Amino acid sequence: MQCRDVELVVEQEGLAPLPEAAQAHMATCRHCRDFMADLATIVSVAGELPAEVHPPARVWISLRAQLELEGIIKTPELPAGSERSSWWLGFNDLFRSRALATLIVGLLIVAAGGLELRQPPDAGVHGEVSQIVAVPAWQIPFAKTAKVLNEQEIDLRNMQLAGASNSRVDDAFRHNLEQVDDFITDCEHRVSVAPQDELAREYLSNAYQQKAELLSAMMDREGSLH
Amino acid sequence: MRTGMMRVTAFRSHRNLAAKRPLRNRIYLPLLVAAVFLYSGASAPAAGQQGQHLARHFAVNARPVVVIHNVANGRIEVKSWKNAEVDVLASQISNKIGFDMEQAGDRIDVTATVLNNSAQPQEMEANLQLTVPEETELQLKTETGLIYVEQVMGDMTLESVAGDVHLKEVSGYIIVRTTEGSLVCTQCAGKLDFKSISGGTQVLQPALTNVSLFTTSGNILFDGDFVRTGLYTMKSGKGTVEVRFSGNDSFDLKAQTAMGTVDNRAAAFLKPDSHGVKHMASKFTHGLFGTVGQGLAKVELSSYSGTIRILKRD
Repeated sequence: MQCRDVELVVEQEGLAPLPEAAQAHMATCRHCRDFMADLATIVSVAGELPAEVHPPARVWISLRAQLELEGIIKTPELPAGSERSSWWLGFNDLFRSRALATLIVGLLIVAAGGLELRQPPDAGVHGEVSQIVAVPAWQIPFAKTAKVLNEQEIDLRNMQLAGASNSRVDDAFRHNLEQVDDFITDCEHRVSVAPQDELAREYLSNAYQQKAELLSAMMDREGSLH
Repeated sequence: MRTGMMRVTAFRSHRNLAAKRPLRNRIYLPLLVAAVFLYSGASAPAAGQQGQHLARHFAVNARPVVVIHNVANGRIEVKSWKNAEVDVLASQISNKIGFDMEQAGDRIDVTATVLNNSAQPQEMEANLQLTVPEETELQLKTETGLIYVEQVMGDMTLESVAGDVHLKEVSGYIIVRTTEGSLVCTQCAGKLDFKSISGGTQVLQPALTNVSLFTTSGNILFDGDFVRTGLYTMKSGKGTVEVRFSGNDSFDLKAQTAMGTVDNRAAAFLKPDSHGVKHMASKFTHGLFGTVGQGLAKVELSSYSGTIRILKRD
């Protein structure tokens, strides 16, 4: 057995007891003994490091969205399914958890954004602007995202009804949520009549991300107040 | 009627009690009550103006990290000095806000917390004044107050919901996030990343090499030079994006809007792109592409329905 073989064994099997052949080689090879000693030290020091601090979900969402938009990572297409089945009802209960909700909303945005922004223009609307036709509602980009966000917004309103707060911060959040909603309506309308307008799609995608972050911040605040 | 009779009875019993007290008490008691009343009335505003102060000093080594989380309604002001010390001066109107300050090596954490949830908005005011070494990293988070940073070099993340952010002569990787607060960045250097929903931004006399500005409905103004090889992206959904460049600037320009307009007031300075890549606006957008000077920096402007304005400074 050669040094390279020992490295391969360690790479594949870790530092667990090495095969006899490897041990026999190490008995005569100082280089490999040093190598194993270094690895053991690294593992030992790593074990003393504090546990990783998990960043807020929204950081991951934004990062993933950015990577997706830049084409660095690709998200597989979400399975289609429009009917609410029993699994969905169970999932909906699970969705009450704020952190999970934020994460799911973000991932949906990323997935929808990635898929929609990469979708080639339809053959029927190549060429002239005059050929633009309105698309059916079920084809509107980010429709699933919009649905999930709207449900989250309803949850938030219920939370706010339970403990109404009228501070300047709450007013700012509400006012800006209205603005984002209005902007989403504008962009959705534009994208529905001009599905190939990439700039409008980009703004719509950004608006959904902002809405997800805003709802997350509002829910965090509600949670800390009540 | 019944209430009136009860009042009369109470008044009579009070007179009877008073009659039994020594004369000295009868004279001094009303005077004492009046004095207490006058004192409390006069001292309340004074306490409100003066408030309560808390000062702490933290000795640090090079390049400390200062983390502030101010949940109160107040201003965070950060200035620099040559000393290797972080000074924190906290002032508050009421005692319903508490400050936690701690030092862990070169990290200073300051957190303002609400001690009493029944506090009224005017009682929630708490200001923080910091003096830090020139090279300091900052992470500041507030809800409604102004964040003001002057002459600090170091990476910084500044977050606010409704408060504005004013930066003067700062440098580093600057990240600003607001919900509706605006950003004014004067003579900033390094990299700037701003995102807001309805807040606008003004970037004045910058020396920034990388700029990314995004707001859904706020306005954007960039008034200054483009550093050669710099990358500049400015996007507003509904607001105006205005760029004022100088005659010495050198940049490639790409301006696009979906529903808005491009107001080109610098047509005399814009040449067709000279770098071989022929840009064309999508048929769904209004676009403007061109080069100023040699086109060394890259400037991308976009809006959904707002106006993009490009002009040369006088």
